[in-house]
Amino acid sequence: MSEQWVTVTERDGTAVVRLVGEIDLTNASEVGQSIARGCGAAPAVLIDLTAVSFLDSSGVRVLDTLVGEFDSHGVRTRLVVGESGVARMTLQLCAFRDDLLAIDVEQAAAELRG
Amino acid sequence: MSEPEATQDLWAPWEDDPSDLYENAPCGYLTTLPDGTIVRVNETFLSWTGLKRSDLVGRRRFRDLLSTGGQLYHETHYAPLLAMQDDVHEIAFDIVRANGERLPALVNSVMHRDDAGRPRVIRTTVLNATERRGYERELLAARRLAEESERRVRVLQRIVADLAAAPTEAEAAAAVVRAPEPAFGATSSSVWLMDADRAQLVSVTSTDPAAAGHDDVSLKARHAVADVARRGTVHISGSVSEAERDYPDLAATMRRNGRDTAVLIPLSAVGTEEKDGPEVLGVLAFDFAEERALSETELRMAEMLGQQAGQALDRARLYDDLRRSEERATFLVSVTRAMEETHRLRPRSRRLVDRLVPEVADWAAVDLRVGPDGMRTEAGSTSPDAGWLTETIDAVAVGGEPRFLDTGPESGACPDCAVLPLTARGRVIGTLSLRMTPARHTASAEAGFLLDLADRAGLALENARLYEQERVIAQTLQRSLLAGEPPHDSRFAVETHYQPAGYDLEIGGDWFDVFLINTDKLAVVVGDVVGRGIDAATTMGQLRSAVRALATAEAGPARLLERLDDFTDRVESARMTTLAYAEVDLGTGEMTYACAGHLPPLLHEPTAPPRFLFDGRSAPLGSRAGRRPRAERRVRLVGGSRLLLYTDGLVERRDRPLDASLQVLAREYARRRDAPLPGLPAKLADTMVGRGHTDDVCLLCLALGAEERLERAIGADPAQIALLRKDLRGWLAGHQVAEESAQAILLAMSEAVANSIDHGYRDDPFGQVEVVARISAEAIEVRVTDHGVWRTPDDSEPEGRGLDLIRRMMDRVTIDRSNGTTVTLRKDRREAR
Repeated sequence: MSEQWVTVTERDGTAVVRLVGEIDLTNASEVGQSIARGCGAAPAVLIDLTAVSFLDSSGVRVLDTLVGEFDSHGVRTRLVVGESGVARMTLQLCAFRDDLLAIDVEQAAAELRG
Repeated sequence: MSEPEATQDLWAPWEDDPSDLYENAPCGYLTTLPDGTIVRVNETFLSWTGLKRSDLVGRRRFRDLLSTGGQLYHETHYAPLLAMQDDVHEIAFDIVRANGERLPALVNSVMHRDDAGRPRVIRTTVLNATERRGYERELLAARRLAEESERRVRVLQRIVADLAAAPTEAEAAAAVVRAPEPAFGATSSSVWLMDADRAQLVSVTSTDPAAAGHDDVSLKARHAVADVARRGTVHISGSVSEAERDYPDLAATMRRNGRDTAVLIPLSAVGTEEKDGPEVLGVLAFDFAEERALSETELRMAEMLGQQAGQALDRARLYDDLRRSEERATFLVSVTRAMEETHRLRPRSRRLVDRLVPEVADWAAVDLRVGPDGMRTEAGSTSPDAGWLTETIDAVAVGGEPRFLDTGPESGACPDCAVLPLTARGRVIGTLSLRMTPARHTASAEAGFLLDLADRAGLALENARLYEQERVIAQTLQRSLLAGEPPHDSRFAVETHYQPAGYDLEIGGDWFDVFLINTDKLAVVVGDVVGRGIDAATTMGQLRSAVRALATAEAGPARLLERLDDFTDRVESARMTTLAYAEVDLGTGEMTYACAGHLPPLLHEPTAPPRFLFDGRSAPLGSRAGRRPRAERRVRLVGGSRLLLYTDGLVERRDRPLDASLQVLAREYARRRDAPLPGLPAKLADTMVGRGHTDDVCLLCLALGAEERLERAIGADPAQIALLRKDLRGWLAGHQVAEESAQAILLAMSEAVANSIDHGYRDDPFGQVEVVARISAEAIEVRVTDHGVWRTPDDSEPEGRGLDLIRRMMDRVTIDRSNGTTVTLRKDRREAR
């Protein structure tokens, strides 16, 4: 079922995760599992949140856990949140590290390659 | 001319020499004293017996010459009779000859008395009865033979009568197996019946259940039973050694069961013209504990018995075939009927395999070539080898020729299987695979029946496939027509719900639509086209487009209906469509509505109970009997009003009059006054009709203007937070709250509600969370209340983060835990300053 929120593609060795719709209490852990499964052993992960229309604290918690996991395995991670919007607002409120957040997919992909 | 004269003229030769006459008379003469002592005897007697006159006369009594039994008889019968009546006749005695042999004789004796009546002398004639006795013996033997033969004939007649009455092969076998013991004195007997399909002889019955060696025999085997069946002639092994020479198996069996003679008779029906010679339908075997030669007569009788049994078997088989073909015909009809009871493809396939197993097959599968992966429906457990099956199904699906695999070494893991093409209109749509029940004929023997079955099933499944296809097309069409996103506008919110008729029924022609006629005028419509299926769906699409095309800001609902009447005159399938149509001026809140034969809209204003709008009514579209002048009615709506349009499927129920249903609807609608608009139509449909409804249900709920105060209550279910969020988002937009503030409020409200569900109602899944939103020129205030017992979890992280988020986003947050928990969120309206 989580296909409706999560799609994972691969681009130059980077796993590109695209999230769509509302991520909240009801689906956050499922979304988290889908992302973890979809990325497998990719050396770099890019999570595109620009199409997320709502993100609550459960979603934030899942993202936080995922980033922690990726970091501990040396997987470079970027969260694409655009210049404004729901995801950027929530993640900034939760004080996610600035180096994790990117404005667009191209920029994030370039950073991950470099 | 008198007779005495004539007699006197005759010459009497014995008068020449009376003593010669005496001595050489054709019978023996004896003269004895009353005590039996022989005093005179003639030559004839002496020559017959070989006795000497000198040994007899004066020395022996007559009784001394008799056998022991004769002497007894002489004492008890002969002597007393003679004494009483002076003569006895034709007494049979055996006279003992000089050499000890017996001379069968018939004896007549006369007693002579003196004048005083005292016995003086006995004269006895002895007739040689050797010939006569032999004849009598023969006669007796012949009679015994005749009696024996009659008894056998009676036994056989009884068996033949039993055979004639035997309706089944089993009963015929049971009758014939009883014959050899009484008819021939056999020790035991057994019957094998021919199973031509499987080329074997099946041991069906035996009078000696303990006798070993009665297995089924392959017709090709070198075996006495198989040989007799093949040749159609009798086989007799008169001894074990004879059997040893011909059939070692038979000899072994005879030895094991202690038999010295075995007879095997073919059970054959008299050959018909089209067959070459008699057809062997079975074998009767019987045996004897001793070495026993069968007489010609017995052999003939045994053969006759075999023929009678053969005919009975033939008759039983014909009867069986007849019964079976009747059964098959009944079965085909019942399968076809069972399949036709359901329209859809999978249930139909299911019906088919469920009827086949176990009546015809142990296992059955329908494989249909539909969709990317095909569709299999199977029943029964003993499926054939998967590799063989896949290969065969592919071959049959491509070639269209059935495949049968009977019992035999080459059938391996798949004995008695058949794969039949399911064809319809010259195309193979799939296959029917079967593994036959062992009790029935083999697949190839049943080929005619199975192909007939597959033909019928093919047609029924093709019809279901077409139905399914049409259903999918109609559903897709309907969904595509209904799927359009309603216009986004902060001045109103619309929620719709379409619920197709219960499983297995065709889709109907219900539709809804929402569109803006111009920037200030909104149109909503719910309609119902008569009929079902793809035609109704198409017509619905046409009408929906027609409504959009014909609605103008100036015309109004009544004029629109008139134009639709004109349209309907050209589109016959649209005639008698009912619809409710309303136009709302978003600036003034003025609504004009009209109902063409449709159920009345239900209006719920914030300050009053819901009411049905019964005005503005006229006949269905294109009605010939109804009121054609179109009416409309105007009503002013205040902000926060909710209007419900629906189709008859929501309220029409067999067990409830319509007005009662309308009351229930009004009550349920009122009860959900505080429910978030999103999901409301679906909940109403669920409450009103539930599952298993027989009609489509279509609902449209329009909420007009933004309420000053948003009051909602949801169950303690995280899934409902999203609905609440959607509602609140609309309300915030309706009040022109800036996007960034709106997002902050939505997030804070979601977190607060999630906390209430998570902590307040941890132990109470039926709790309610109330959300009240208020707007003023300065600020937006959202109050989230639960009545649960707040429990802080050990892991305080989520709550911490949630509350932390709330505090960061809101300008003021207060938490009151005096009565349940109330969290009040306040966000200042920066854009207002």
